Amino acid sequence: MVDFSTMLAGFGDALSFLNLAFILFGVVLGQFVGAVPGIGPIMAMAIAIPFTFGLDPLPAIAFLVGVNKGGLVGGAVPAVLMNTPGTPDAAATAMDGYPLAKQGKPLKATKMALFSSITGDTFSDIVLITVSAPLAVLALKMGPIEVVALMIFAFSILAGLIGNSLAKGIISAAFGLLAASIGQDPENFTPRLIFGYWDLFDGLALPSVAIGMLAISEILHRLSEAHGNLRPAIIAKNTDNPDDSRVTWAEYWSCRVTMLRGAIIGTILGALPGIGSTAAAFMSYAMTKASSKDPGSFGKGNIHGIAASESANSAVVGANLIPLLTLGIPGSVGAALIISAFMIHGMQPGPLLFENQGRLVYGLFGAMIMANFVNLWVGQLGLRLWVKVVSAPESIIFSSALLLCFVGVSMATSGLFGVAIMLIFAIIGYLMTSFGYSLVIFIIAFFLGPRFEKSIAQSLALTNGDMTQVLKSPVAVALLILSVVSLVWFLRTNARVEDE
Amino acid sequence: MGTMADRISGLFFMALGLVMYFWINPTYIETVDGGNLSPDSLPNICSLILAVAGAFVAIKPTNHHVRNPVLMAKTGLYVALLVAGIWAMSWLGFEYVAPVLALAIMWFVGERRLLWLGLGVVVVPAAIWFIVTQLLGRALP
Repeated sequence: MVDFSTMLAGFGDALSFLNLAFILFGVVLGQFVGAVPGIGPIMAMAIAIPFTFGLDPLPAIAFLVGVNKGGLVGGAVPAVLMNTPGTPDAAATAMDGYPLAKQGKPLKATKMALFSSITGDTFSDIVLITVSAPLAVLALKMGPIEVVALMIFAFSILAGLIGNSLAKGIISAAFGLLAASIGQDPENFTPRLIFGYWDLFDGLALPSVAIGMLAISEILHRLSEAHGNLRPAIIAKNTDNPDDSRVTWAEYWSCRVTMLRGAIIGTILGALPGIGSTAAAFMSYAMTKASSKDPGSFGKGNIHGIAASESANSAVVGANLIPLLTLGIPGSVGAALIISAFMIHGMQPGPLLFENQGRLVYGLFGAMIMANFVNLWVGQLGLRLWVKVVSAPESIIFSSALLLCFVGVSMATSGLFGVAIMLIFAIIGYLMTSFGYSLVIFIIAFFLGPRFEKSIAQSLALTNGDMTQVLKSPVAVALLILSVVSLVWFLRTNARVEDE
Repeated sequence: MGTMADRISGLFFMALGLVMYFWINPTYIETVDGGNLSPDSLPNICSLILAVAGAFVAIKPTNHHVRNPVLMAKTGLYVALLVAGIWAMSWLGFEYVAPVLALAIMWFVGERRLLWLGLGVVVVPAAIWFIVTQLLGRALP
């Protein structure tokens, strides 16, 4: 147990001028780079790590924490303002953020994203600081059988995102899973559906698929409509009502349950290795929609939709550090990057970290809390700038966005092959939306697919193919029951929306 | 007429599922002896679901209206432009192709103002080049 004076000293270190300056620098860089489709917070951190080699451990880690948190806020900007999410988790934010921006309230939409993101993030940071150790032990008890049950629960949540046709929703999910099965299979490592292209051996890269389907397909759609019609990418109406460009306290407070639910979902999923922020964002969105008195208003600019998604995906980040710091297990790519940065700077994550380097750990916690405040402050200024930027004509916004997507995906996938895959999925995405199929369901299924298949293979190996062993796990049984309940609940909600 | 879009897409997914199940999966997925989960299990299950759900969409279509065919044709033009851009980048590199690609896109959109053209064709690609290669030390495509 770390003594109180060490904790205070750690928090005090985080408040030094040098550390605050690096947090500020990291947040500014993260918000800027995170807003570029294809780059996002993970790539921003990967780029930033070499710049920290010459720094002391705490400023270096504070800088990376700033980049990560700033990147999350920045990621919501193109999703809300242009309907071109740079990362899959921001797609949930775009579902209500973009309609609200189109109503002439881009600042309100982006500010709601900022406030709910920071609320969710702060919640998970507090959980990390106070109860990380018992949560990590609980997360470790989730074996493959429980993970399969959790995945089935996550898939049942997809029902909440199905529109007016159940069959079309099922097609989107099956198509996403089929795309996820390209590459080596998780048990025998034999190649599947790679058609001689060995670049596909590791599977389709998530940035290529997600940015192609979500961002490029939308840009293509907007370009085709913009022919000869040179309007701004987003129109911020000049109204006399100041509430159109701000989030009032009453509006923020009305979302408290939505944000709390999102933060809890994000924290729980973030503590489990490998689930990630995309599932958390959509799970929170679907649950908020289903429990709303007016589910029909979702997808049309409801601020609860933005709050649900952003609070959940941001809460994942802090919670990802729970298994990392306490057990040395990175729960996501971002956490894996942080662990590598820790080790570069002499920190050895694991059970002894709090004993051996307690002051540094509490310095990190202090930096995380300070980064949230800085994020809020920088975000308030930065969002105004971004709204001005996207008020430029569509011709320059979309041609620039296309070039940035090319560069971002090329950097993320190490070459033009990834860019070509991005374009193929842009065409698929464009055709799917043209014919009324959900891209969001496709992307979530694609994202969850590899982990789902791997967990099934591990479960079958553990139980020798006897799936009745599932009944011996109370957690798995509870999750399966929850899956059935949520499936029925979501389908009934969808039917209610259709009736209205 | 409103149900045609669903009938077409439903038939497409049904055909895709059947072709995947009967031809592509057996041909392009290696089989292995032993193991608990065969490599073709998930692709086969997904293919069958696609075929069945596709048939269902074709038989019971919704009233979904497909996008305006003229807009879809224009989209095809932009796709052709991007394909040409990627192909040219593989030979010449981003530095030379990006300004031409940006100019072509802006020109097709209908942009004729020199200030915006200059920004999109010169300033943006140059800024990307500077940030990626000079500041970040990474390679451009």
